[in-house]
Amino acid sequence: MLNNRIIAVFKREVKERVISKGFIIMTILLPVFMFGLIGIQVLLMKEDSTKFNVTVVSESNELTLKLENELRSTDAVKEKTLNLLFSTMNKDEFKEFLKSKKQELLDEKINGVLYVPESALKDKKIEYYSKTPQNRRLSEMMNRPINKVLIDTYFSNRALSVEELNFARQGIDVTGFKVSKEEGFTEEGYGSLVLTYLFTFLLYISLLMMGQMIMQSVIEEKSSRIVEVILSSVSSKELMIGKILGSGFTGLLQMAIWLSPVIMVASSTWIMLPPEVSISLSTFQIVYFLVNFFLGLIIFLGLFATVGAIFDNPQDAQSGLWPVMLLIIIPFFIAFSMIENPNSAIAKISSFVPFANIIVMPARMTIADVSIFQLLISLVVSILTLLAIFPLAGKIYRIGILRTGKKPKWSEVIKWLKYKY
Amino acid sequence: MHALEVKNLTKRFGSLVAVDQASFEVPEGSIFGLIGRNGAGKTTTIRMMMGIYMPDEGEVNLRGVKVGQEFKNRVGYLPEERGLYKKMKVMDTLNYFAEIKGKSGRDVHKRANEYLKRFELYDRRLSKVEDLSKGNQQKLQFIATVLHDPDFVILDEPFSGLDPVNTNLLKDIILEMKERGKVIIFSTHLMDFAEKLCDHLAMIDHGKIILKGKLSEIKSRYAQKNVSLTYEGDISFLKGHPIIEKIENYGNTTGIRVKEPEQSQTVLKMLVERGIVIKKFDANDISLQEIFIELAGREVSGKEVHNA
Repeated sequence: MLNNRIIAVFKREVKERVISKGFIIMTILLPVFMFGLIGIQVLLMKEDSTKFNVTVVSESNELTLKLENELRSTDAVKEKTLNLLFSTMNKDEFKEFLKSKKQELLDEKINGVLYVPESALKDKKIEYYSKTPQNRRLSEMMNRPINKVLIDTYFSNRALSVEELNFARQGIDVTGFKVSKEEGFTEEGYGSLVLTYLFTFLLYISLLMMGQMIMQSVIEEKSSRIVEVILSSVSSKELMIGKILGSGFTGLLQMAIWLSPVIMVASSTWIMLPPEVSISLSTFQIVYFLVNFFLGLIIFLGLFATVGAIFDNPQDAQSGLWPVMLLIIIPFFIAFSMIENPNSAIAKISSFVPFANIIVMPARMTIADVSIFQLLISLVVSILTLLAIFPLAGKIYRIGILRTGKKPKWSEVIKWLKYKY
Repeated sequence: MHALEVKNLTKRFGSLVAVDQASFEVPEGSIFGLIGRNGAGKTTTIRMMMGIYMPDEGEVNLRGVKVGQEFKNRVGYLPEERGLYKKMKVMDTLNYFAEIKGKSGRDVHKRANEYLKRFELYDRRLSKVEDLSKGNQQKLQFIATVLHDPDFVILDEPFSGLDPVNTNLLKDIILEMKERGKVIIFSTHLMDFAEKLCDHLAMIDHGKIILKGKLSEIKSRYAQKNVSLTYEGDISFLKGHPIIEKIENYGNTTGIRVKEPEQSQTVLKMLVERGIVIKKFDANDISLQEIFIELAGREVSGKEVHNA
């Protein structure tokens, strides 16, 4: 199947693509962009862990002491994330104090003032004064110890056995445990969600970009009239195969470059990443992703090249591209919606539907349990799609590349299929 | 045996019959002209010969064998609408065109350098094609056409859009290829060029071959009773003269047809008697253009041909 003419076309195509500015920029910029996003998130998290200066005020020395004891033993204070000052004053004194500290609060020299009145021992209502009172991180850090102090104090005045007291405390701890379990769950899913996004995005971007490139290239050959010179040496089939394989190889190369950091991270037994974003990716999944991608790329390159052959200027081609675009965009949205419900019927079915399976199946593979058998079926669907569309695409391509002039209608294009060329 | 034999080629586009049962033979070592008006079917015929179009009927034989990839490898083809990859470098372009003809390596490189030097493009060999002038791009295209040392050179309207320097250059290439025993086939609507260059021809009109054969034989067949005249003065007295069948003005020359072959001498006598300054009087001579117009009808405007 591969003769020296196809190889010559292939080589020219790869050379032209790989040294093109667009390819180099995208190959470098996309990972920079992706890691930039992760970097920004890390930065934001660091920002989040800046020190909090909070003054805790209660109305009695006893309570202040208890709060101090409890809060000082928290991790946040030990890690110096939370810097606490304790003070005892009554309501009037507190009001004065608050007034005097207003400027410091506004300047965020003090992030907040927490006021635990005596009444809190009965109704658990405490007051928090801050420029940003809805800081969740702070309440995460402080609520539990304060609650504990309040409970201890509340019950210590009563004749309660230690067991009863433990029981009361436990109630709070159970709530906390529930929360941490919830956290554990999301932590686990986060890494594969990242993969789902990543796979879907990379497929989408690469299919579109390589597709657009081959389309432009076909249009250029057509409009610069070079195609007839080439056809005097090479058959249109050889030209098409050479071009598509050349672009396909380039796309695969680019995808491998894009995926290499992910593969590195995944294979380094999650030393580099915190557990919340750890990625579990088997070699089989990577190989499957690349094989699926290559098949899909070949299919879509065929479609893009065919659209390029139908039209003789980029504007017409762009407007004639919509059927192909739909075949990429709809699966793209299905893959994204699947993140909310990986087991939806649409997700399942579309991972076996021609064209859609190329984008949906890799996404589904990362967040739902998909058997190897199903993955292979999806590949078979791709291969059948390829075999079904290429004779048609090749014919339209063959006729289209020698046609110039009036923009053809779709009905005319269908007629071309009947021509003997 | 003929080098190339075109047999009953037919090509339809929908209801339009672009080429209709076209048959002609291209002898070894000849310069063969496929001539006809724009839209007569020349390009379609050539494309079918090149295997770019599949004929609806008929076939093309290379020394008795149906043409295929082997023929393609041995042809240098220059289509009417030609182009190059704009972003490719000159040397890369030449290597690529040789490579798709199955030729690569040191020989090709050497030949490429020779041609580039000869066409004064050697110092531009690392430039991008888009940085060359249009004339230089045309030169590069010629080199790309013949670099792989083809046995056949097929040129579709080779002179369209060429400046005079490149027109001569291409003529030189054609004649040089002929000297080396190559077969050259070209199509043109410019009868002047066809007459000067080709030794065999086929005339195509509305998709049909209306005339074919050796140029000299065709001319002598049509030349009897014909006088080709270049003069100064007024020859209007000849109009309506009983021995004159018709007079056609082709600008530089005038074609006069008499009713009987021997009457051409009478015409000369009359012209001398009237004091017409005769610059050229060629009895039994006919231009290809006259033949063409006679066969393809008056609708072909001589104007177009003359301007070209």
